[in-house]
Amino acid sequence: MIGSLVRSRKNRRHLTSVAIYAVLTAGALFWLFPFVWMFLASIKPTEEIYTRFWPTRLTLEHYRLVLQGGVALQRPFLRAFFNTLFVASVQTAAIVFIGAITGYALGRLEFRARDALFNAILYQMIFPGILFLIPTFLLVLRLNLINTYAGMIVRFLTDATGVFLFTQFFKTIPQDLIDAARMDGAGEFTIIWRIMIPLSASVTAFVAIFNFMARWDEFLWNLIVVRDYDLMTLPVLLAVFTKGEYGDYPGAQMAAATILTLPILLLFMLFRRYFEEGIVTTGLKG
Amino acid sequence: MATSISAQERVSAGPAKRPRRIHWIAYLLVAPYVIYNLVFWVYPFVWGLIIAFQEWNIVSPRKEWVGLGNFQQVVTNSQFWNALWVTAKFWIVFLPAVTVASLLLALMLQRVSHFRGFYIAAYLASYTMAGVAYSVVFMLLLSGNGLINTWIWKLFHVRVPWFTDPRLAMISIAMVVVWKFVGYYGLIFLAGLNAIPRELYDAAAVDGANAWQRFLHITIPLLNPSFTVVFVFATILSYGIFTEPYLITGGGPLGSTQTFMLLIYQKTFENLEAGLGSAMAISMAALSFASTGVVRRLIEREVAL
Repeated sequence: MIGSLVRSRKNRRHLTSVAIYAVLTAGALFWLFPFVWMFLASIKPTEEIYTRFWPTRLTLEHYRLVLQGGVALQRPFLRAFFNTLFVASVQTAAIVFIGAITGYALGRLEFRARDALFNAILYQMIFPGILFLIPTFLLVLRLNLINTYAGMIVRFLTDATGVFLFTQFFKTIPQDLIDAARMDGAGEFTIIWRIMIPLSASVTAFVAIFNFMARWDEFLWNLIVVRDYDLMTLPVLLAVFTKGEYGDYPGAQMAAATILTLPILLLFMLFRRYFEEGIVTTGLKG
Repeated sequence: MATSISAQERVSAGPAKRPRRIHWIAYLLVAPYVIYNLVFWVYPFVWGLIIAFQEWNIVSPRKEWVGLGNFQQVVTNSQFWNALWVTAKFWIVFLPAVTVASLLLALMLQRVSHFRGFYIAAYLASYTMAGVAYSVVFMLLLSGNGLINTWIWKLFHVRVPWFTDPRLAMISIAMVVVWKFVGYYGLIFLAGLNAIPRELYDAAAVDGANAWQRFLHITIPLLNPSFTVVFVFATILSYGIFTEPYLITGGGPLGSTQTFMLLIYQKTFENLEAGLGSAMAISMAALSFASTGVVRRLIEREVAL
């Protein structure tokens, strides 16, 4: 009797587990559906975008339109791709570099005003960005940086959350390593690059990936700062293009959206572990 | 010379403390951060406060002090209150939907041993998609004659006006944002679930508590930190919605998706009313702060694991 009870329990657990896999798989397909649809829409004939999921034939016409320009429409998408890459890379490099040296000073060195500075950075993390949008725009206007790369870049050169993460993580690295390096005559910069960063690979990777993603994705700021098509980043060009003369070219829109999505998706798949760890850490610190 | 300084320092600091000869370099290391944030954070912040008390159209050099005039305009501006209503609509749909969905996801993920990495990646991928990209995708996918409506028409002979009905448009946008954030919040819940000691469940099971009772009396209360984080994130996010309505609906139909961000963007950068825009931004930030404060107050509890 006990045997059959155990067996029925086991069966029920088995059934529950099958159900969970089924629900998770169905949900995952549902969640990935927009990606798949976007990609398929970018390689199928226009008339099938609204009516069919699977294309009857494949075409590269939308990519050709986006990358080479049509007869009447010439938009520099390839250039926009490199604009985005350039702006986001410079910003990410600055955020990681400044974040690491600031985090090192805050986490490992003693100086006056250290606690005050750390508290100020904690406050920065919870300040709504909207408070800075208009005055920073006016500042950039006054600096004559409207419609320039510098104008886009200068808005995001540090990240308070990144500094916080570096500070917290650098605190956990054994002092002996630092002392030994100093004994060998290493300067502070050598210690940061040769010891702190390599031993904090997961935090560094997270700060870099997360910020690169956010900068790649940046829309509002780049929208208000840049007017020339040649300077626009991908999100801005795609938005202007969708709301403007390419409104009737859904295939071209999906080709551009795919170009905008793929690099980050690739980055995400390569560094998924750091990404997930980072979300959990920031979530816990909240 | 360097050695003589360090020797001196060592004496004054005593043997227990570390050598304190390196203080000066800390200032050098924090200087880039501090200088940059003085120029591009503190200065704009103060300037933003000042502009809110002026009338200024950005292009002309003429600025006029108007005292609380801009804030008076904000309070009597029906578009501002409409934006608050739009935000409330978003919040009322988004917060429960995303909480239930991501909590369910976390509970299921906790129970699977195979393909866990794949599942997490599948649900988190939506978070990595650029706002402009998924907005255009959903705009086409859910348009009046889009694929989803083609399918719905075949099945039920109706078309759903996802983004064209004023009653439905903001709800549709909220569902799109749920799609984006389920994986992210799911991971936060999963971390919270993993932090709950297994023995608590075993002990409760021995005492005869069924699965539902264990969920209600152990999981829910001990997950409070995760709930707090997710609720606070979701509340802040509700005030910051911009890209989706900008692209999909342009704030319409009938202003039903005109969020705060969209309104401030239009007032400042299309109508060039910098003073009014700044006053709206400050008012919105105050409302956002107050809302997160209330949310925290209502749900945050001390949890001892």
